[in-house]
Formats: sequence, structure tokens, C-alpha cells
Amino acid sequence: MPDLETFGLTRHFGGLVAVNNVSFTLDCGEILGVIGPNGAGKTTFINLVSGIYAPSSGRIHFKGRDITGLPAHKRAQMGISRTFQIIHPLENLDVLENVMLGFIFSRRMGLKEARRSAEALCGSLGLGDLSRDVSQITMLETKKMEIAHALASGPSILFLDEVMAGLNVDETREIVQLVQRVTRERNIGVGVVEHVMSVIRDLTHRVIVLEAGEIIAAGPYEEVAKNPGVIAAYLGGAA
Amino acid sequence: MRIVVTRPRVGPGRMWQVVLWTALAAAGTAAVLLWKPTALVYGVQRAGLYAAVAIPMALVLGIVHIVNLAHGELMMVAAYLAYFAARLLGLDPFVALVPVALVMAVLGLALYQVTIRHSLKAPELNQLILTFGLGIALSQMVNLLFTSQSWKLSLDYVSASATVGNISFGVFDFVYAGAAIALALGLRLFLTRTRLGKAALAVGQNPRGAAIVGIDVGRTYAFVFALAVGLIGAVGSIFLAKQAIFPLVGGPYTMKSFCLVAMAGVGNIVGILYCSLALGLSESIINSIRGYAGWSNVVFFAIIIVTILVRSFRERKA
Amino acid sequence: MTFAVRRFLPVAVIAVAVLFPLVSGPYPLAVAQSILIYMALAVSWDMLLRSGQISFGIAGFFGIGAYAAAITTLTVRASPIISILLAGACSAGVAFLLGFVILRLRKVYFAITTLALAEIFRVIVHNWGDFTGGPEGLVLPSLIFKGDSRALFWISLGGVLLACGLSALFQRSRLRFALTAIRNNEVSARSSGIDIFKYLMIVFVTSSFIQGIVGGIQVQLYGYASPDSVFDANYTLLPLAMALLGGIYSTPGPVLGAVLLGVAAEYLKLKIPYGHLVVYGIIIVLVILLLPDGLYGQYRRSVRDRARMARGGTAHA
Repeated sequence: MPDLETFGLTRHFGGLVAVNNVSFTLDCGEILGVIGPNGAGKTTFINLVSGIYAPSSGRIHFKGRDITGLPAHKRAQMGISRTFQIIHPLENLDVLENVMLGFIFSRRMGLKEARRSAEALCGSLGLGDLSRDVSQITMLETKKMEIAHALASGPSILFLDEVMAGLNVDETREIVQLVQRVTRERNIGVGVVEHVMSVIRDLTHRVIVLEAGEIIAAGPYEEVAKNPGVIAAYLGGAA
Repeated sequence: MRIVVTRPRVGPGRMWQVVLWTALAAAGTAAVLLWKPTALVYGVQRAGLYAAVAIPMALVLGIVHIVNLAHGELMMVAAYLAYFAARLLGLDPFVALVPVALVMAVLGLALYQVTIRHSLKAPELNQLILTFGLGIALSQMVNLLFTSQSWKLSLDYVSASATVGNISFGVFDFVYAGAAIALALGLRLFLTRTRLGKAALAVGQNPRGAAIVGIDVGRTYAFVFALAVGLIGAVGSIFLAKQAIFPLVGGPYTMKSFCLVAMAGVGNIVGILYCSLALGLSESIINSIRGYAGWSNVVFFAIIIVTILVRSFRERKA
Repeated sequence: MTFAVRRFLPVAVIAVAVLFPLVSGPYPLAVAQSILIYMALAVSWDMLLRSGQISFGIAGFFGIGAYAAAITTLTVRASPIISILLAGACSAGVAFLLGFVILRLRKVYFAITTLALAEIFRVIVHNWGDFTGGPEGLVLPSLIFKGDSRALFWISLGGVLLACGLSALFQRSRLRFALTAIRNNEVSARSSGIDIFKYLMIVFVTSSFIQGIVGGIQVQLYGYASPDSVFDANYTLLPLAMALLGGIYSTPGPVLGAVLLGVAAEYLKLKIPYGHLVVYGIIIVLVILLLPDGLYGQYRRSVRDRARMARGGTAHA
């Protein structure tokens, strides 16, 4: 039984269908790529899985349990985490405190223990000087903080929403290695939404392609990259 | 440069709702008419007043995206200005309407430039507290200068009445409904037919997009705010013709205006007319029930609560 | 400020406050006691503000507390202290029930709904004459502690200590994390596992509890409650201005603001009767525009900036 599975997940916004009949699976230890042109519904898809939106129809199962009606905070507590494309690091909380949140509220630790755990987690990701304000850290550190924040909840499933955006080649490689290490060490299932194809190629075990909210292709990256429908979706022309 | 503004279409699902609500409203109106005819008349008149006061607030909320908690106080200030115009210059409130509106527009512009403009980039909380403080400052200044005594003009034509069948009622208050309709239509035309109005609509829908196409967003905000204050000034002047004024008279109108704007949904000026009927009629009906008249002021709150509950059940986000 | 001084300062301030009635004349004592009432309200308002929700309804829960205390004193002969506790419980209960509906709202909608609350409660109390004595209000048979002004001061101080204690507790606990996260970005907060409704409810009920307690204290001090006197907008306006001036999102801020504004208002009342309320409005406007962090907030910010520059990049947990 797959750890995360969706059945016909669909979401409308008024007349617009953002996600249409998406069914997929994700297991712990797997890294799944989610690609597609802009506006394909990738972020809405993550929002549906993490519980920010309720689906208009369809179901989501996590470790055999139907979580379709479960609110976002409960899903975070159960083990589904995600990062955000447009990062809103919480001001008035420094870097360490941002990371502590998941430990405190998803893993229900006391403040002292949460602080220690957050320090350890940040250390393992190469994030230092944690009492800084979130406005003072570099782009790479912000991404690491986002990932740390998501990992703090102790997830079995993690979705990364365009986490490589704004990073240079070296920084991207560092994050790719970080994700690989974390996936291995914690045995989590990771969904990676990305536009940088080299990352998808190096990082993921398999890929699904979204266009206009629907899955138009699935499989290992090499296959999917050659799929004419996928190429047309990115470059335009008859699908 | 042409400015094209798109509006969402009403789909088939919405059509049924519109038909249903109109049918209910018609049935309700007929029922009230048979049971307590005067309540219907006064309800409509009250509705007109509420709508006329609410429409300028909706304009500001829809375009500048701030809730002006000093809204009622600005109406009060205008009413006081009109009062002095009447007492010192002998101007009838309907004549003083134009100069008072102009003075208020200038005041609104000044308030915007000095205070509100600086808070637009700040969190929404700040704007709320800011306008709250402005409202207090205005009402207390008036209180300080003119005491809390209520003043009233005694004009002959406000006691005009008509008789239909065997019921007679005052007709002056229909002027508010007229003002509300004039405001709604006038703004509709302005916003959709004039260049300035279309620019304002564009700014309201998407400030950044509007800026990119070359619309001066800051000046648009200032203009819209000044316009709204001018309009509420006009309403304030008409208000004076029949109502008693005192420093705190504006407060309930701020709340009820907001109730209407919230009910109708942001940007829906015509909707305010319908919602004001619901509010005005409910208040009027409760008012006419002996022994419960005092409860009519709670109606708007009940409406807000019901609106919240209905909206949140419909929205059902995870 | 060194660590030792920081620990010692609140104790010193409390000690001074407790001893104050023993050395002060009747007029300063009365002014100080009135300031304490507003101070507790200011702290309670700030507690809810930390979650990102503004309440304009302090007067509403204050008034409910006042009436609850008055009614329990008159009908079941509750002792004054018990009636004050019941007042708090009553306000908390009303907040709890209302919260299920109005805590779905955010920002403007929540704020205006709370603005309406005081008016609504006032109208209800005004019209429900059989239960609440209607427009004339209720008169208590006697004042608490026979109206001894020192005792009145100490009991008001008790209200302040309760408010400050709860506020400090919230700041030290996971509640600070929850409320700050909610205030900054709710979606992010939910993804961290925070149950937003639960934490908003906790702070809303606690804040209203304090306001009810203070309302109960006030009615026991004055021996009288009427719709217009207890649902007075000043009970919303003054605490707001005090918390803003002193510095929001903190416990010392509203305390500082209450002392400053309270003393300034007394002075103004002598110079311009009725003018002091205008000043409150103007202060709110000025603080929002020029000093949004308030005085204490400004101080905290400069301390932090100086510490950051001194650190210059070295790790310091």
C-alpha cells in the first residue's frame, strides 16, 4: 500500500478547474518530480495534499487512512509537510524560532527540547548563527531554513515547491545533495516541484507531468522528457 | 490608450439564486405591505438612508482597499457644516449640499495626504486603528467645540406627508432613497464610462497592473478618497435637513454601513441597495412591534452574524 | 540593561505599587486607581492583538463583567470577591460562545464585529429590564471593603497583576510562538501544525476573562452599573491608546503607556475639560503614523540593533 495516494483529486475555483482528476502515489524513500508549464496547477496540487485547500472532489489517503477532510494543521502533525514557493519567513521570530515551530506544534515538544532539536537540525543542514532575524540571511540560508522548518514536523511526506528558484549552480547542487541525504536518512517520500530540469533529472526516481491541472505523462525522467505531448506542453503547439 | 475593465459574468447557477431571492423579496414585501403598511414605507426610507451612507464607504473599500472607521464621523462633520451654513448664511441644506460636499472633499484630500497615505504600505491593522483614531479625534473635537447637545433645523418641507388609502406617512425621507439610487447610478456611470473612473476601477482590481500601464495609483487613491468624502458630505448635508445632529451621531452609521458593504460583497454597489432594503425593512418591522422597538438596533448585528455563518458554510476550506 | 536588573525591576515596580497607598494622598491615589483599571484593560487588549486580531470590543466584555458582578451580588448575595470571579467567568463564557462564530473572521471583519459588540450588549442590557434593571441600571448595597480607598487601590492592583501575569505567561510559553506565527502568516502557521482556531480561542477567552474581572472590580468600586456607564466607549478607547503609545506586543508596553497617558490625561482634564478625549484620538493617529512600535517597542528595537552590531556575525544563541 503506497504511503500517499490520491484518487481523482479535483479542485475548482469558480469556473476555473485548477486541478483535474489527479491520481498518483508516493512512497517513503521515493523522490517524485512534479513538472509542468506555469499555471499547470502544481502549487494548487501541493495545497490540496497539504490541506490548505479542500478538494472539490476526489480523495487522499495517507498510510491507508482517508485524510481528505483533515485540516492542514492535523496533516502536518500526522507527517505531511511542504515548503512554500513564495517564502514568508515569520518575522518577529528569528531563524531558530522559525524552525522550532514544527517541533513545538507538530511533535508537541516542550520549548527547551524543541530548541535543542531545532539547533541540531539546523546544524545538520549547515545553518548557523540562528539568532539572526530572517531578513538578514542569504537566499541559500532561507531555503535551508524553509526545509528545516518543514522537516521539524517530522514528516514522512515532504513536498518541495520550487525550492531551487533563485539559487546558483553550486547552491542548487548543495540543496540537491541535502535532499538526497535527508530522504535516505529519514526514509521520507519527497515530491519535488521544479522548473530546473537538470535537478529533476539528477534527483528524482520518477516524474509526473501536469498540464492544465491534469497528469499528461508519468514515468522516469528520460522517458517523460522525450514524450511529444510533454514537449508540446512546454513549448506550445498542439498537445 | 483604452482601458478595458472586465467584470465577472453571472453564470446559470447564480441566475437561479437571483430569481429565488427576488421572489422571496417580493413575497416578503407583499406580506409586510398587508400586515404593517407603514413599516414598509419607513423601512424603505431607512434603507435609503443606510444605502446612501454606505455607498461612499464601499467606494473607498473597493478601490483604496481600506475600511474607513471615521466614515460616520465625516458625515457628522458635514452635517455640522451644513448646520452652520443654514444658521449663519441662511442656506437651505439642499442648496448648501454642493459647497459642503466640496469643503468635505478638500478635507478628505487633506486627511488622506497627511495621514492615510502613509499607512497604506503598513499592515492592515494600522489603517484600521488609524481611521478609528481619526474618528475619535473628529467626534471629540466637535464635542469640545459645540458640546454634546443635539441640534436640529426646523424646515417646513420635511414634515410633508402623503395619504394612501387610510394610512398616511411622511414622504420627505424618500429623498434618501433617491440619493442612494442617484449615487449608485452616478458611480456606476462614472466608473464604467469615464476615463478617470475606469482608471479607478483598474487600480481597485489590480494596483500593480494599473501602475504598469501608466496609471498614477497614488493620485487615484487620493482622488477616490476625496470623492468619497465629498459624497458622504453631500449625504450629511441632506441628513441635517430632518435629523438631529450631535457629536456621536455618526458612530452607528459607520457600523451599519460596514454591515451593508460586507453583506453585499466588496465592489458590489448595486448589491448595497438590495441589502439596505433587507436591513431597513427588518429594523422597521421590529420597530413597529410594540414592546420590542428598542431591539431594532441589534438587527444589523444579527445580519452580520448570519452573513458570516452562511459565507463560512459555503466556503468550506480545509 | 543587565540580566540582574531586568529580573529585579518588575519586583521593584510591584513593591512600589503595593506601598503606594500607604504614602500617597487621596487625590493621587484615586487617579492611580483609575489608571490601574485602564492598565489591566490595555494589557488584555494587547494579548489578543498578538494574534493579529484587533478588538474594538473591550467595553463589551468589561460591561458584561460589570453586570455579572452586580447581578450576582444582588440576586444570590455573592460576596464581592466571588462576584468579581464570576464576572470574569461570565465574560469568558460569552467570549467562548461568540468565538465559535466570530473567530472565523479576520482582520477588518473581526474588528468591526467587535466594535458592534459593545453596542449590542448595551442595547440588550438596556432592553432586558427585568433582568438587568434597564436604563436606570443597578445599585449595589455597599462598596467593596466599605469603600476604603487603599483597599480599592489594592484590588485594582490585583486586577493588573492578574493581567500582567497572564500576559507574561503567554509570552514565555508556546502561545507566543503560536500567536506570532498566526499573526505573520496563517498558511505558514497551519503548515507548522498550529491549530489556529484553538489558539485564537484561548487568547480571546483569556483576554475577555481579564476584561470581565476588571469590569467586576469596577462595579464593586463604584457600587453602580448602568448600560451607558459600563459600555462606555472610553473603556475601549483609552486602553487602545495606552497600549499603542507604550508599545504593543509586550507586557511592559501597555503598562508604561497607561502610566504616561493616565497622568497626562489627568493634567489635561484640568486644563481642557473634555479635551482630553480629543488628545487620545490624536495620540492614536500620531503613534500609528510615527511610532508604530510604541515607546517600549522602539527601545527594544534599538537594544536589539545595538546587540546585533556588537555581535557582528558571531554565533550567539
